[in-house]
Amino acid sequence: MPSVSFMLRTVAVLAVSGTLISTTACGPIGSDGDGDGPAPGGTIRPGGELRVALAEEPDLLDPTLARTLVGRIVFVSICEKLYDVDAELNLVPQLAAELPEISEDGLTMTIPVREGVTFADGTPLDAEAVKVSLDRHQELEGSARAAELTSVDSVEVVDEMTVAISLNAPFAPLTAVLADRSGMIMSPTALAEKGEDFGTDPVCVGPFRFSDRVAQDRIEVVKDPNYYDAENVYLDQVTYRIIADATTRFNNLRSGDVEVLERTAPTDVAALESDPDLQLISSESLGYQGITINIGNADGITQPPGPLPDEFASPLSESPLVRQALELSLDREAINQAVFLGQFAPACGPISPASPLSSDAAQTCAEHDPAAAQDLLAQAGVEVPVRIELMIGTDAQARRLGEAIQAQAAEGGFEIELNPTEFSAALDQADQGRFQSFQIGWSGRVDPDGNIASFLTTQAPLNTAGYRNPEADQLIEAARASSDLAERRDLYGQLHAVVREDNPIIYLYRQKNLTGVAGTVAGVEVYGDGLVRLAHAGFVETE
Amino acid sequence: MGRYLLRRLVESAVTLVLATVVVFAGVRALPGDPARTLAGEEADPVAIAAIRRRYGFDQPLPVQYYRYLENLAQGEMGRSLRTGLPVTDTIRDALPVTVQLAVFSMVVAVLIGVGAGVIAAVRRRSAAEWGANTIALLGLSIPNFWLGLMAILVFAIAFPVLPASGFVSVFENPVESFRHLLMPALVLGSGLAAVVMRQTRSAMLESLSADYVRTARAKGLSNAQVVLSHALRNSLIVVITIVGLQLGALISGAVVTEQIFVLPGFGKLTIDAVFTRDYPMIQGVVLVTAAAYIAINLLVDLLYSVIDPRIRVGGAAL
Repeated sequence: MPSVSFMLRTVAVLAVSGTLISTTACGPIGSDGDGDGPAPGGTIRPGGELRVALAEEPDLLDPTLARTLVGRIVFVSICEKLYDVDAELNLVPQLAAELPEISEDGLTMTIPVREGVTFADGTPLDAEAVKVSLDRHQELEGSARAAELTSVDSVEVVDEMTVAISLNAPFAPLTAVLADRSGMIMSPTALAEKGEDFGTDPVCVGPFRFSDRVAQDRIEVVKDPNYYDAENVYLDQVTYRIIADATTRFNNLRSGDVEVLERTAPTDVAALESDPDLQLISSESLGYQGITINIGNADGITQPPGPLPDEFASPLSESPLVRQALELSLDREAINQAVFLGQFAPACGPISPASPLSSDAAQTCAEHDPAAAQDLLAQAGVEVPVRIELMIGTDAQARRLGEAIQAQAAEGGFEIELNPTEFSAALDQADQGRFQSFQIGWSGRVDPDGNIASFLTTQAPLNTAGYRNPEADQLIEAARASSDLAERRDLYGQLHAVVREDNPIIYLYRQKNLTGVAGTVAGVEVYGDGLVRLAHAGFVETE
Repeated sequence: MGRYLLRRLVESAVTLVLATVVVFAGVRALPGDPARTLAGEEADPVAIAAIRRRYGFDQPLPVQYYRYLENLAQGEMGRSLRTGLPVTDTIRDALPVTVQLAVFSMVVAVLIGVGAGVIAAVRRRSAAEWGANTIALLGLSIPNFWLGLMAILVFAIAFPVLPASGFVSVFENPVESFRHLLMPALVLGSGLAAVVMRQTRSAMLESLSADYVRTARAKGLSNAQVVLSHALRNSLIVVITIVGLQLGALISGAVVTEQIFVLPGFGKLTIDAVFTRDYPMIQGVVLVTAAAYIAINLLVDLLYSVIDPRIRVGGAAL
């Protein structure tokens, strides 16, 4: 690994306020183009190939069909969206010229398209191109975006550079939806040429354009000279390498075989921080991890909630008091310390404190109190210890977490049997309702609705708990319909109180996006959405 | 001979068809739904149904099997559910990686094993023999994944002389290929090297006490000539047999080594395909493996029949 000069090492400032990294000793030469994001610092030299280690293989690189979180990390380099988030997770225009104008009745969203933009194949970006992509997201067979865009009735071209989206009902989270893959605009020329094969050679607007992919090995993207802000893109090439094992990934960063490492294992953080040639970017994630409890998922997720068959019924599924007792017996901070060496953060609800829609009410939390848990069990009149089966993953971290939960719950009067299940099989069992409790999480979305509606609304697509509470349904719906931030914040606070009574999901902790970066590199940005943004990254000038 | 050949070919074809049935049914017997796995986090039931339709998983199994055979007949193994890339291309990229790794490991194992075996046999009851025996014992006992991690820590991180991961084809850049494959080959070959060393040593000890070696010495040949040209040459027959038998173990051992050194080989491909329930890919890799076994068996049987005519006559009489 090329060693960095002592001077540069000492001036590397790490992960200030948990969102960006900058080397601040030298005057910043980079600008962030439209002034949306934080300016990268340090003297970055143009050129070079940056190698990024991904934890998993991305799926098809087609914005309409793509489903993996890791795929979004590649897309951020090659496929820009109508909207994006800034470091504070505020929505900002990207391929749109401005934030959308929403009609008074909330049923029409008018979006001006950014001028002077061309796709990587030279096709100009206009309103028609936006319509083609949005229509495809809605209509293509097997589209992973269709569910996100169910509120959209139609997309109309108003003039050459303006589109209007008609909605079935007011839906405030739509702008945030358009700041994810649903807002990615594909070259209409490439779509016409490649059709369903678009994902094998995607063409969009981005600082880089797709170059090559070798399955299970790497994805290469190269600087796109057509990009509207190409003068502020330093790197010639980014190679995403797929390295599944966390230890191997970290070793490759240490050996200099990669320069950026997404999802550093918490156990590697101390070693990373003590290495003068490496830097850590840490940002609060928008997702959560917790225990989903099967309350009413009797016949599978597509069926209405009902009483569970004997095999899966337990005092936990039957009594909210027992679920509250389980929550009280768990010490979230101790779990964070024991399993994740304090690198993550305790979580008590679905909304990240980093979200602009979070509030004190949405972060209220039950204090760890095993004695109170035992009192609640006595009040519920159940036989102690309460026996529960907890489905967990098969990797070492899942086992450690399961054991920590098991030990703590025992103090509160529970006897937990761990059931390690391979991930694909576990998802299947959860959907079918064949479980008592399941340790699972969610990667998180910019708008809290994405963390809430699909999990807590009656018969929602990801409501594996089989949770049904009309009051919660009403609050979720009201928060979706309102475009007033303060009102939404208040509604989510109320919702948190309602859900905490029922505990269909016991929220446990929030992961952090721990990104390891070589000391030779500056300008890498990782916000709460966990995407590794490389538009303004580059190698630091060595003197 | 012609009839025998025809019969064996027909038998092989039937075996291959049976293999497709086993592969097809076996993949579907795995717990977990590929559409659910593919849907990932956003597992909307509507989306899952759409995925099933898109990939034909909503069709009855016989229909799916017929389509699978139909595509196979056209040399099509379908596209990976995960990456959307053709299965044939992906396998074609992955196979040479594992083959190059296995061959390189074998070469390394033979060089180290034979060298250490000869030294241990010639320098009996010396520090050299003791050292060689200890290394052989370690080579057999240390698991590959641990040895791999240690090798990376030492040769890629503490003394950065070799890359920690990646693959370069020998046909593309022999020097870089050597640098990238040296550590994986040493790790993968360590077990085999130990076996080869022990076999070489015992074969050499036997040869060195044989009459022809005494004769060679009596003729006044130097010690080196006696050891290398006479004793070693005869001992190598045993070694070659062992190496041949161990090749299969080497290829299955490659799975772990490929994971540690991030080599995009066949073993890693298989494991990833199973974990992501990538049906077309699992079917592809298992079928290619089955076809390879069938082809090798066919070749061996044909060679036997060439060497021993009784085999083809006996076969024809059945």
